[in-house]
Amino acid sequence: MQYRQTQVMGGYWKAALCGLAVDRHGHFYAAGDSHICMFDAAGRLVRRWASARPALAVGVAVDGAVYVGEAGQIEIFDAGGKLIDTWRDQARLGRVTAIGFIGDSVLAGDAADRAIRRFERHGAFLNNIGKNNPVNGFLIPNGVLAFAVDAQGIIHAANPGKHRVERYTADGELRGHIGRFHGTDPAGFGGCCNPTNVAVADRIYVTEKAGPRAKVYDFSGQLEAVIAADVFDPNCKNMSVAVDGRGRVYVADTVKLAVHVFEQVTV
Amino acid sequence: MSQDLSRRDLLRDVVRGTVLAVMGGGALFLVRKANGQVVWQVDATRCVNSRLGELGVEACNLCTTQCVVALSAVRAVNDHAKCGRCNICPAYFNITSAVDEKGYPSEKLCPRDAITRKPIGKVDPEDPANNFYEYFIDEKKCDGCGKCVMQCKEPLGLGSIVLRVRYDKCVDCNRCAIARACPKDALVRVPMALGSR
Repeated sequence: MQYRQTQVMGGYWKAALCGLAVDRHGHFYAAGDSHICMFDAAGRLVRRWASARPALAVGVAVDGAVYVGEAGQIEIFDAGGKLIDTWRDQARLGRVTAIGFIGDSVLAGDAADRAIRRFERHGAFLNNIGKNNPVNGFLIPNGVLAFAVDAQGIIHAANPGKHRVERYTADGELRGHIGRFHGTDPAGFGGCCNPTNVAVADRIYVTEKAGPRAKVYDFSGQLEAVIAADVFDPNCKNMSVAVDGRGRVYVADTVKLAVHVFEQVTV
Repeated sequence: MSQDLSRRDLLRDVVRGTVLAVMGGGALFLVRKANGQVVWQVDATRCVNSRLGELGVEACNLCTTQCVVALSAVRAVNDHAKCGRCNICPAYFNITSAVDEKGYPSEKLCPRDAITRKPIGKVDPEDPANNFYEYFIDEKKCDGCGKCVMQCKEPLGLGSIVLRVRYDKCVDCNRCAIARACPKDALVRVPMALGSR
């Protein structure tokens, strides 16, 4: 399996590019600086609106509502960028670096407390995920907690300190993991703490830092491809990744402040 | 004529003033140095081992080889507040060495074995990945070679390890041999209060 870069989107961010997401209509969203950018499938900017605080993560619910993770809160916008609601909870939403959805539940990755929070759709807290273990949460030296939800409602969370992607149910039960440390084998996760970010579709997509690269695994943990490595700035880390319904992979270059788009090469 | 004289006077006064200022500054510096108020320190933002963006290069060991003090007055120091306490620390392990049966790199990085680690909290023997560690640098063994500093640097690590001049070892040369050799001018004179941080 091979991928080729088909597009690079840049020039929209000045200081930070943190979170990427796609919706079921093929729109692509990017959270960076203190705003959200919405692009169409061809990469044209459709809409851009401001968030109250620096935007750290973005997720799009089935109804089209756009959830933006920030420090201490989640802002919820309609598809047109109009603010609908704000969930403030300094204790449970200390630093929201990932957003996801399972049925009617909203999931938020709180990097400050190293746990995934599950809320019902109006914001009532339900349970923690990944907190009940000997180290009291995910090991995230990079300061970002990243996860994605598959079509069966299983949460795939990056646990970079363990060099793993872990699988959890919505109620927080650990079901297993893929990944292992290896400093030279591309099938392994290198360095102190990788992978940093994860996306899930028909496969598991991850990004790593030092050196930065994007890779794809099957659900059993077999490496299928290194999507790209040498196109990113070598100082990149915490590169958000998203995959759309056509299998296009979006990766954020956090230094050059650009989104790289990759498509599978069909032989 | 009188205009020429006044110009000459002015020029002379300026030169005198400049000379006096330089001498005064030098004297003040010497007094402060004599009182231990100005010291040599490594500027981590200049040092090639810790400076961000310097990737893919060998660690510079001029602090080890140039210092007039045996084993160098420059040592690696770990800022525990910044340390990620990683299970597989790139400054502790040689992360490109072969992986052993437990899943760890088989070699340590430090050529003098100056870094040790201690598990934090309850140890999980079943799953070593569940453990995390406090890392300590034995300054009696460290010679300031900078290898761990280079590996701890962002983005590979968190930049918690840096090189620092240790004042119980530094003999405070007027012309520091490391400063003369350092290609990045990373050895700088700073007030004692700043240097001790």
